[in-house]
Amino acid sequence: MSIYQGNALRVDLTEGSFHWDKTPENGIGGRTWNSVTLLRELDAGIDPLGPENLLCISVGPLTGSKLQATCRFIASAKSPLTGFLGDSGARGFFAAELRWAGIDQIVFSGASESWVYLYVNGDQIELRDASHLAGMDITETTLQLIDDHGDPDLQVATIGPAGENLVKYAIISCNLARACGRTGMGAVMGSKKLKAIAVRGSKPVIPVDPARFDKACDDLMGAIEGHRQFESRRLYGTTRIMESLSDMGVLPAYHYRSTLFEGLEEVGSRALRRDHMVKPKSCYNCTVYCSRYNYTSYSEGEGPEYEAQAAFTVKCGCTDLELAVHVSNLVNRLGLDCISSGEVMAWLMECKHEGIITDDDCDGIDLSWGSKEALLKLPEMIAYREGIGDLLAEGTKIAAQKFGTEARKLTAEVKGLELFSADPRGIKGFGLMNAVNSRGGDHYRGEPTIELTGDEELALRRIGNRDAAHRLKEEGKGALVNYAEHLGLLSDSMTVCKNISCSMDVIDFDLAAEAYSGLLGKEITAQDLWLVCSHVSQVEREFNLREGLTREDDTLPERFVGKPIPDGPSKGTIIDIDRLVEDYYEVKGWEQ
Amino acid sequence: MIRCDIGLCVGCRMCEVSCSAGHYVGVSSELSRIRVAKMEGSGIDLAIACLSCLEKPCLECPTLALSVGSRGEIVLEEDDCINCRACYEACPVGAVGYHDDLPLFCDLCGDGPPACVEVCPTGALSNTEDVEISLRAFMGFDGKPGQKRANYATIESEPIREGWASGVRVDG
Repeated sequence: MSIYQGNALRVDLTEGSFHWDKTPENGIGGRTWNSVTLLRELDAGIDPLGPENLLCISVGPLTGSKLQATCRFIASAKSPLTGFLGDSGARGFFAAELRWAGIDQIVFSGASESWVYLYVNGDQIELRDASHLAGMDITETTLQLIDDHGDPDLQVATIGPAGENLVKYAIISCNLARACGRTGMGAVMGSKKLKAIAVRGSKPVIPVDPARFDKACDDLMGAIEGHRQFESRRLYGTTRIMESLSDMGVLPAYHYRSTLFEGLEEVGSRALRRDHMVKPKSCYNCTVYCSRYNYTSYSEGEGPEYEAQAAFTVKCGCTDLELAVHVSNLVNRLGLDCISSGEVMAWLMECKHEGIITDDDCDGIDLSWGSKEALLKLPEMIAYREGIGDLLAEGTKIAAQKFGTEARKLTAEVKGLELFSADPRGIKGFGLMNAVNSRGGDHYRGEPTIELTGDEELALRRIGNRDAAHRLKEEGKGALVNYAEHLGLLSDSMTVCKNISCSMDVIDFDLAAEAYSGLLGKEITAQDLWLVCSHVSQVEREFNLREGLTREDDTLPERFVGKPIPDGPSKGTIIDIDRLVEDYYEVKGWEQ
Repeated sequence: MIRCDIGLCVGCRMCEVSCSAGHYVGVSSELSRIRVAKMEGSGIDLAIACLSCLEKPCLECPTLALSVGSRGEIVLEEDDCINCRACYEACPVGAVGYHDDLPLFCDLCGDGPPACVEVCPTGALSNTEDVEISLRAFMGFDGKPGQKRANYATIESEPIREGWASGVRVDG
């Protein structure tokens, strides 16, 4: 059945023209449309940075509605970092504005000869010259476009120097610091010489059955405000997990060499709030307003989230929180993914610690743990591809090939995508998620958060297995990850914030079905939505198989396989990733 | 009148959503009679609705379609409006909206409590009577309504940003 078919704007950047089309008929918004579009229209083996790649930007029918936190847009393309399906979502305010402009999906094809940006103002749609924006960072570009159009309410999604210079983990950002961070969507945008998308719209999102829709909105708001994490998320946002991951013994200190970090107090969530947070910030239509605006002696900006904070402190062995906050601001401005760039730097520091790489290999930059010089200089060198930055811009998988086998053994990537800031051995559902999901080493496809809360009853209700709620048990994890993936795909299609839908776990398929039914004025069941997600999950798998994915790609980095966690509360824990992957394949019905 | 504490506003736009949905069922920023100036680059957010200012330059309506209601709200006689946008352009802080060829004024949600105050998650919004505000200082600024909102937010935010620079943090 077709649940909702939206308006797709097709922009041919080679020709400088556009026309209207419809989104694929068998989707429910966001990632479902993008993945289907890419499987249908891309040929296998294309160059991700060639004009034959497509860049899809989608919102969904619920985006910009009264339903809380429907604030995301999803960018998808074949990834230049992994060579497989790439996609990433950004929160903030751009997505709602795009929906109000009457656009559900933009599909960019071809490549422009000179820098352009897409300007949408209601029914006015133009590709405009962006030569004056070339070279500008994300903040400068955004402010320049606001100034050019005399419109402070303009919503801008843009790339920075990293995207222009085709850094394989370049981001697309809106509202300066809300990023499509993963899998290098900013590089694809840069390869098309598309600097930015600037949008204003005024078409309201109108529910067909307002009473039913309002009830779903009220139910969601009630569930959020009644949640046990509601207050701590307001106070600390995602940085709140820094201390809890430490308590679990899965902190990635000194690039996963230890789970203990002396001085955690001084780089943790409380220190961040105490020393650098000047106010909370919110994304579109959210009572949690979990983001934070920081002010340091170096710079100011929104963030950091947990991943940036952990990457530039514990993972790089840095005890200078103010420096780490600044580095977060810096990578945001340059347009680099904080996870991948943090991983690149932490890996280099470990290689130096092991004597595999010397400072001289990296233009004389001090690569000691927590080196201020490295943390300040490397992001710029990567974004502008200067010196060693040119190699590091390819990601750790490619960079490691230059430094030899021992350096490669220390990398933490899956399918070329760098891992998040936690030890996958001590949270086995997350470990499995990192191994098998469609975009590579990544926790955010869907989050098997039940294993963080240990809620057995919820695990029983969701997947019929209590054991799955235990982070150190391997039983039931295939089913747990399958459920979490479906929920993640649903979230990426509703375009709702995953901190709410997945991490707080307050949206399920029943609530989603009520929201879709109320908005669209027709009966859509939880089963309908589940089936769409199952189908698109297979579409994504098919895309990756077509690009040469094999069973061997679905695993964890060598450094985690067969080796126990060295210290801390999870000391001695080993992950049997083969067993977990087999379990997952069985749940999926895939051949081993 | 709806007033916003700039020190508490986090820019979530829930006021816009509730205003828009309350008046039109549908939701978009432009349908809202309260608008949030979100200042990219300075971290400042400020929700702005009609402040029922002392000057009320919007009342210079060529067809006299506007009047002041019992609680200070601006009342539009729709049949008399000729869509000249004079009121929309006259407001010194950009607090007059525009949609479907008609200006939009905060009506304080009629008899009930204002929806934006009810929904505001930080308590930044309040409905205060008997506060007289002069916007004379902002009347010389030339620009579109969105730019006027931004100008107002920028000037209002100066003490806050000075505080940040001198070490004031969210908890004090």
